[in-house]
Amino acid sequence: MASSLEQSTVARPVSGEPTMNAADAALPRHPRLRASRWPARLDLLQSLSGLLLALFLIAHMFFVSSILISPQAFHTIARFFEGAAFLAEPRPWIVSCVVGVVMALFMLHAWLALRKFPASFRQYRIFIEHKEQLRHSETGLWWIQLWTGFALFFLASVHLFGMLTQPELIGPYESADRIWTGNMWPIYLLLLFAVEIHGGIGLYRLALKWGWLQGADPLAGRRRLRIARTCFSLFFLGLGLVTLLAYVQLGIAHADRAGERYVPHKASSRLAEHGRPGGLEFALSRRPGE
Amino acid sequence: MSDQRVLTLRVLRSSPGEGLAPHWEDFRVEEAEGMTLFIALNEVRETLAPSLQFDFVCRAGICGSCGMLIDGRPGLACRALTRDLGPVITLAPLPVFELIGDLSVNTGKWMRGTAERLQTWIHAQAEPDLTALEAPMEPALAEAIYELDRCIECGCCVAGCGTLRMREDFVGAVGLNKIARFRLDPRDTRTDEDFYELIGDDSGVFGCMSLLGCHDVCPKGLPLQTQIAFLRRKMASTGL
Amino acid sequence: MRIVYTDVLVVGGGLAGLRAAVGARRRGHDVIILSLVPPKRSHSAAAQGGMQASLGNTAKGEGDNEDVHFEDTVRGSDWGCDQQVARLFTHTAPQAVRELAAWGVPWNRVAAGEREVVMDGRRVSLSERPEAHGLIAARDFGGTKKWRTCYVSDGTGHAMLYAVSDRTVAEGIPVHERMEAIALIHDGTRCHGAVVRNLVSGELSAYVARATCIATGGFGRIYRVSSNAVINEGMGAAIALETGAAMLGNMEAVQFHPTTIFPAGILVTEGCRGDGGLLRDAAGHRFMPDYEPEKKELASRDVVSRRMEEHIRAGKGVKTRFGDHLWLDITLLGAAHIDGRLREVKEICQHFLGIDPSRDLIPVRPAQHYSMGGIRTDARGQARGLRGLFACGEAACWDLHGFNRLGGNSVAETVVAGMIVGESMADFVESVNGDLQVSTGLVREFLDAEQARLDALLQGKGSENAGELMRRMQDIMTDKVGIFRSGELLSAAVEELQALLVRSRQIGIATRRPGANPELVTAYRVQKMLKLALCVAWGALQRTESRGAHYREDFPRRDDAQWLKRTLATWGDAFQTLPTLSYEALDVASMELPPGWRGYGARDAIEHPLTAGRVSEIAAIRQAFGHADRFTVQQALMSYEHLVPECFRGRNARIGESS
Repeated sequence: MASSLEQSTVARPVSGEPTMNAADAALPRHPRLRASRWPARLDLLQSLSGLLLALFLIAHMFFVSSILISPQAFHTIARFFEGAAFLAEPRPWIVSCVVGVVMALFMLHAWLALRKFPASFRQYRIFIEHKEQLRHSETGLWWIQLWTGFALFFLASVHLFGMLTQPELIGPYESADRIWTGNMWPIYLLLLFAVEIHGGIGLYRLALKWGWLQGADPLAGRRRLRIARTCFSLFFLGLGLVTLLAYVQLGIAHADRAGERYVPHKASSRLAEHGRPGGLEFALSRRPGE
Repeated sequence: MSDQRVLTLRVLRSSPGEGLAPHWEDFRVEEAEGMTLFIALNEVRETLAPSLQFDFVCRAGICGSCGMLIDGRPGLACRALTRDLGPVITLAPLPVFELIGDLSVNTGKWMRGTAERLQTWIHAQAEPDLTALEAPMEPALAEAIYELDRCIECGCCVAGCGTLRMREDFVGAVGLNKIARFRLDPRDTRTDEDFYELIGDDSGVFGCMSLLGCHDVCPKGLPLQTQIAFLRRKMASTGL
Repeated sequence: MRIVYTDVLVVGGGLAGLRAAVGARRRGHDVIILSLVPPKRSHSAAAQGGMQASLGNTAKGEGDNEDVHFEDTVRGSDWGCDQQVARLFTHTAPQAVRELAAWGVPWNRVAAGEREVVMDGRRVSLSERPEAHGLIAARDFGGTKKWRTCYVSDGTGHAMLYAVSDRTVAEGIPVHERMEAIALIHDGTRCHGAVVRNLVSGELSAYVARATCIATGGFGRIYRVSSNAVINEGMGAAIALETGAAMLGNMEAVQFHPTTIFPAGILVTEGCRGDGGLLRDAAGHRFMPDYEPEKKELASRDVVSRRMEEHIRAGKGVKTRFGDHLWLDITLLGAAHIDGRLREVKEICQHFLGIDPSRDLIPVRPAQHYSMGGIRTDARGQARGLRGLFACGEAACWDLHGFNRLGGNSVAETVVAGMIVGESMADFVESVNGDLQVSTGLVREFLDAEQARLDALLQGKGSENAGELMRRMQDIMTDKVGIFRSGELLSAAVEELQALLVRSRQIGIATRRPGANPELVTAYRVQKMLKLALCVAWGALQRTESRGAHYREDFPRRDDAQWLKRTLATWGDAFQTLPTLSYEALDVASMELPPGWRGYGARDAIEHPLTAGRVSEIAAIRQAFGHADRFTVQQALMSYEHLVPECFRGRNARIGESS
């Protein structure tokens, strides 16, 4: 009855024709791994790079917000990263190196994430249609992440390039001048929103993706994670806004001497002299949680 | 009876065999107590549109035939009570699957393809001796396997998955859940390395973007979120 | 002319058809399965409670074996079954469960030690043996002496269907979905395959096969209120009937399941009562013990359904605007048990009734559930009257169930019959009888005839509405050929159904497209379904006794003297309006278990003249064999082993009983 298979293909039945000889598939398997291991590694790398970037972001936010304590605090931290604590004098190229590592991570993450972007207009349209039909929060979150991620390609690149090439210009006056006199504040404002939203959603989705912190009842676990995500984004957005405002005000105050480097003792006397510390205090009074 | 509603069923109609382009058509039916979309659609077919195509089999939420987009969300029409829906109900066929006509899609062909691709059967070394005592299994393990075995292949997770809609070679939650089910089953002698062959790439578990549409629309409440995360961990460590 | 050739053609993708297909495929033959729907959507998936097989692993199943299962089955059938088939079945059922276990069915397992169960409305403690730990568990079901129903929560059919369906994929068996066999190709003595309609494109093709197996399930949809899926329209049985050569057996034997939710008719498993659930009336009174002191809620289904309707007639039901119903109470089982073992029931209650069965009572009323009748076959599944035609599962009258089947025996039958018929078809195909001797001229004749019938419907000027005929038929069957039957009602039903059959020849349809066309499908199916309905009603009218599920109020006693026989229906002439009935007597003298009282229900049967003689003969044989083992005694009483395919002949091992 060898003819039966040929005949059945001639008749083109609606469905159910096996696409492979499944009986063969049940034969002993090849002991050798045939599938590439790279998809697993790339998937891990995407998550890992995202996680590291998010952790860096958290640390970074705390460092830059030290301006809210005092310009001196920020100055100290900035110099610390130039190796002030263990070298004879600060070396800004150390910062460049750190920035370089972050930038590499950022590029790696972006490259890996790009794989998941809609690859054609058709896919793009389908996803939008799907999202609008489904009205589903997690699906919507991914779309936000996609667009914030896309924005970060540009916003974060600008910032990272600046830090890479001019690491010595990280300091209370230097940063404030860049933000205000250098007209960078609109980019920082957008960057702040993009990065905090992207990071918050990213961490949340990372936990779901790998099944972390899900607890005994996954649904309750997801609710908890959702609350944590909202708190995370709100806290860092708030902190970021206040910090940015502080730099803007310092930048305005320092606009007439833009380009002047910060020197600790001199700065404090200057400020006292001119009696214009108000901006900073104003900003401090708006710190969240106080 | 004065508060009885008249429902509008807005159905996306099409007949690819006849080259009829998709278009919306409204049907009005009087709502009855305990009415489901199964009842409403049959009434439409009996009284208004004898050519209307849809698939029901068990009409009890067990067989998975009647998945469709109900107001945009995938669900089983047989157990969708009209009282839980608005006065205008939009009904469309599940996307991804080959369209047969109106609300009817070819889930069978897709699922068979998945079964062949993922080899969703027990791979045992030897034929069982049917007259001998069966191999014992821990009661809790049997129940855990059944938990994953409850999938009815209705296709709702497929239609609810943004990833799959963009990339049609993605295996989908239904397939990943099956791998999780056979992985759990000690009667299946396949190892993680074997499963990696089947789902260890971007059309497999690593393609999942954790949108969780699958988990949130599954009519059987399968733990898809946790199972896919679990598989991702296992496959990632296998791939390392 | 499209012709597909294959060794074995299986019509129907439910458990029976799939298992038969695997059997034939494993013997090296090409098999094609036709299915109206994707196989995993088949109605087998709706079997909830479990599958009977005498493994005897649980404490309450200890001491169970083929003998006990056999006796329960015969009593359940009200002595209507073929006892050799019942033996063949009870012998093979444990192997079926174990095979399914190996194929991945996650049977619930025995946990050693103490556990609490609900029995007869009380919580009692059971102790499971340590040596049974991890073996396949079983629950209680109606009409059984032992706890014998192996189960997977209450999704047993689903789990079994998925395992077997996946096995067909593993074996590489093609399933041609959305394909409907609308006629059998035959020459009056030999079946050569089927004319098949593609439900999507409307095209006809011929599937020519050496062996053709009908496994299309039951025909519950000839009733208005039925637990059956909407595809259970009995087309397999109908096309066999239309050959005029094959015959349908015991079509009047229709089972009504006691507990389907009211008014939707969706099944809630017998496992609810097996696990300790109770039936209550409007006053909250548990009424079954009043009627059936021995088995109470767990008498056989025919008895419980009848008692429920009787109670409703006495005015004790809950009155609603849809009619009366009773309550099923599983609240006493507790939420944990329901969440674990009765979760489909819970889901159904939530979605269709908006209630939580761990707190609320479930409104239930009996509804049509199962067709004991079907294509009459011999013990190996070969149809009477047409060589090369086989049948298994609910579509067949293999005659395991007689006039009432036990819960859990049908899902077991699907797989067991599939195992046996798969071997049987392979044997046939390998024999000279299985050689294909069909001319393409005959095939063309059948294709042309079917095409002409469809064209007549599509292009004709008939004025009858197919949907209306269908509804009318369903109403007649539910109202007049239900649980309580009488000559008066049945005569009226037969008359009306005949009129409908005549009208059905004048059906006109509005949708004239040849492809996917639900109206056309209803039209040609209702013509066939009316014939089945007439077989049921006419057979019921002729049978002037009450046996199992067939209950005549005007003839309330079981009459073994007159009616210990099987009804056979044929339909020789397409234009006749009634089936031709003949009868096949059951041989009391060769029965292993001669007719008697069932252990529940009525005790007033009219005895067969040979019964007493057979009873004493059996007593003598038992005495003569003294202390011989049960197999030897059984063999002496009624031999059946020659009917078992060789590969299934071994003895079933149990704890303390080796294979």
